[in-house]
Amino acid sequence: MILAMVPNSTWYLLLAAVLFGIGAVGLLVRRNPLVMFMCIELMLNAVNLSFVAFAVRFGDIAGQTAVFFVMVVAAAEVVVGLGIIVSIMRRRPGATADDLAELKG
Amino acid sequence: MELLVFVIASGMVLVGAVGVVAMRNPVHSALGLVLTLFGVAVHFVAMEAHFLAAVQVIVYAGAIVVLFLFVIMLLGVDTAEDLSIEPVPIQRPLAVIIGVGTVVLVGTAVIRTRDTIARGPELEASGDSNIRLLARNLFSDQVLAFELTSVLFIVAVAGTVLMTRKQKRVAPDRDRVGS
Amino acid sequence: MIAAIVAQLGEWTAPVIDWHALAPELILVVGINLVLFIDLNIGEARKWAMATLTGFVLLAAFVPVVTLAVIGDASREMFDGRYVVDHYALILKAIFLLVAYVVVLMSQNELEEGGYYQGEFYVLMLCSVLGMVMMASSRDLVSIFVALELLSIPAYMMAAWRKRDVRSNEAGVKYYLLGVFASAVLLYGMSFLYGTTGSTKLVEIGEVLASGDLIAMQVVAIAFVIAGLAFKVSAVPFHSWAPDTYEGAPTPVTAFFSVASKAAGFVALMSLIFLAFPTATGVYQPLIWVLAVLTMTVGNVMALRQTNIVRMLAYSSVSQGGFILMPLAVAGTGDASQSAVRAVIVYLLIYAFMNLGAFAVVIAVSRKTRSGEITSFGGLFGYAPGMAAVMTIFMASLAGIPPLGGWIAKFNVFKTVIDAGSGAAYALAVIAAVNTVIAAAYYMRVLRQVWMMPAPDGDITPLATPAPVTAALGITAIGTLVLGVLPGLVLRFGDLQDLTGALGR
Repeated sequence: MILAMVPNSTWYLLLAAVLFGIGAVGLLVRRNPLVMFMCIELMLNAVNLSFVAFAVRFGDIAGQTAVFFVMVVAAAEVVVGLGIIVSIMRRRPGATADDLAELKG
Repeated sequence: MELLVFVIASGMVLVGAVGVVAMRNPVHSALGLVLTLFGVAVHFVAMEAHFLAAVQVIVYAGAIVVLFLFVIMLLGVDTAEDLSIEPVPIQRPLAVIIGVGTVVLVGTAVIRTRDTIARGPELEASGDSNIRLLARNLFSDQVLAFELTSVLFIVAVAGTVLMTRKQKRVAPDRDRVGS
Repeated sequence: MIAAIVAQLGEWTAPVIDWHALAPELILVVGINLVLFIDLNIGEARKWAMATLTGFVLLAAFVPVVTLAVIGDASREMFDGRYVVDHYALILKAIFLLVAYVVVLMSQNELEEGGYYQGEFYVLMLCSVLGMVMMASSRDLVSIFVALELLSIPAYMMAAWRKRDVRSNEAGVKYYLLGVFASAVLLYGMSFLYGTTGSTKLVEIGEVLASGDLIAMQVVAIAFVIAGLAFKVSAVPFHSWAPDTYEGAPTPVTAFFSVASKAAGFVALMSLIFLAFPTATGVYQPLIWVLAVLTMTVGNVMALRQTNIVRMLAYSSVSQGGFILMPLAVAGTGDASQSAVRAVIVYLLIYAFMNLGAFAVVIAVSRKTRSGEITSFGGLFGYAPGMAAVMTIFMASLAGIPPLGGWIAKFNVFKTVIDAGSGAAYALAVIAAVNTVIAAAYYMRVLRQVWMMPAPDGDITPLATPAPVTAALGITAIGTLVLGVLPGLVLRFGDLQDLTGALGR
């Protein structure tokens, strides 16, 4: 019976790859810094998913520890990132990444 | 049963992720993000990573998304972004090509090598032993990294307060080296 | 209940901690809190003391680095080999602390007169230095990641420190988004590295990779890890943040980024290449080769077109990064692996001196001219011959003219590449030689302004250089000169087998 199939780590890895890809596309397509940042969160979650899948596969806890650190650091990153974004958006409401064109190559 | 959980949770993850990318209103994107984060938490439970699932819900879905929503509301940028305007004409197809390329590349690598990687024993899954192993690893092998992340939070707090404060004095022209 | 807890305590063995080896990090942690606390409690008029205090913290952290080096016993390992203090780590820690000290000297007056928040700035800088010092010793994917974030997160805020200025804000946002994206790519690579080897320890990863042919996922993992770190060292095509961020950030911060942050990225790259990927030469060598060629060429061509001195130095630092990548592109070939570590470290040290020096001159001159244009350096020789002389030293050194430090650095890099002796290595050497000539053109353009052109507006009042900036100029100029004349001082860094010795080869 098909319902008796048990998902193994390969399934999770493929899901993580798709999630990473969606995040990367969003980062390139969207122009609102806040939404771009959410897309990076998607990519970090893909990383977490694949770390845990590998940890299960190896029966090793180190992968879960790594995920713990990714989460902790991501929390700090979000605080800093939103601080920077608030400081720029407050002076120029509605700024998008394209408006950030004061600096050119 | 496990298959059913996997399919439903994956559906949540993917629908949420597409929502983040495709929704025009940042608030809707944030809600899509919650859906994804929650789906990932379900996957963590399915893989017996109970502690991480709890942290995922509390820290990610709780604190981080609330912070996002708070900032969106604070700045009043919850107006829809017009996605029909393409800033650079080639950008969107290019982005999709890059994204699909990455997925195909990584996906093929995963599928081709799925049997060659060593497979370890089952992790002790009964009761709280999983969390105990995590704690042991965290406080012995990784204790230095763990302690130094606390410094990261000090600077995150101190720096963010500064970023959002007003500049203290105005001394025009003093700091300008650019053209 | 309590009995169960006591029973668990029995199995628990606390990790052995070598306090002497950890002393530099601990002093920095104490210093961060001290600066933050004192800054909250002193009046605006006495904020200048924060720079002094930061300087003392950095010097205090330098003391255990010196004592550890003098004791000179073999490497000290902690946490099951995840944190190693050996000669390689000590030399790099010394470089990072020295760079930070010079940057403090350069920033003091800029911050005071620019009306910036000072105490918090130094807190952020010390935190960034802590991340770099940690990076030098990290031998584990998790601690490399934490160190990298510890050094980048304060950097994102420092880039946006000039808050009135729209460009500084943009520099901060751009740097931040690309930096976090790079971290995500790096982490994805790390997860595959862990997933295909079953360990986060670099040495164990290296053993597994050495034990058989690479599988597809390992190739993907190595590519992702190198791409993620390429952002941090601003290698082309991942460099687009660098010139904008460098121009938008306050000048002392730019000096700090272009030297210290870049060096930390190279340290991570070196640790990974020499400990985790030493046998994966077929994957990382071509990647780094392409990165090195693109980086030096694009950096140079763009630098030629700049009229703003800070942007020119930004692109020049991109292109110098290409030269530093060169030895890594041949790191796996025969005898080159030993000399590659040395070539990179020597280059990083000398580059730190000459680039910081160049930025110190820019700071000193722009205090008077209020301009960042290269033409504003006109007539410098007329009204400030001393400054013109040191600028000549730095520019000539960056161009690689003997007998200055930059020449020794370039010589070592070329020697390593030639030693490797493969066709790709010779091609790389030829491309690098062409690039050296191109680079000389734009460095000489600055010197032409300094020596031959008249002052742009006829203003020939002498420069009023504050004492700390003079001290920074002195340290960097002496460093550049001494290392050029007495290269033996650093060429003895040859006893760096500790790093590669970890694999028992």
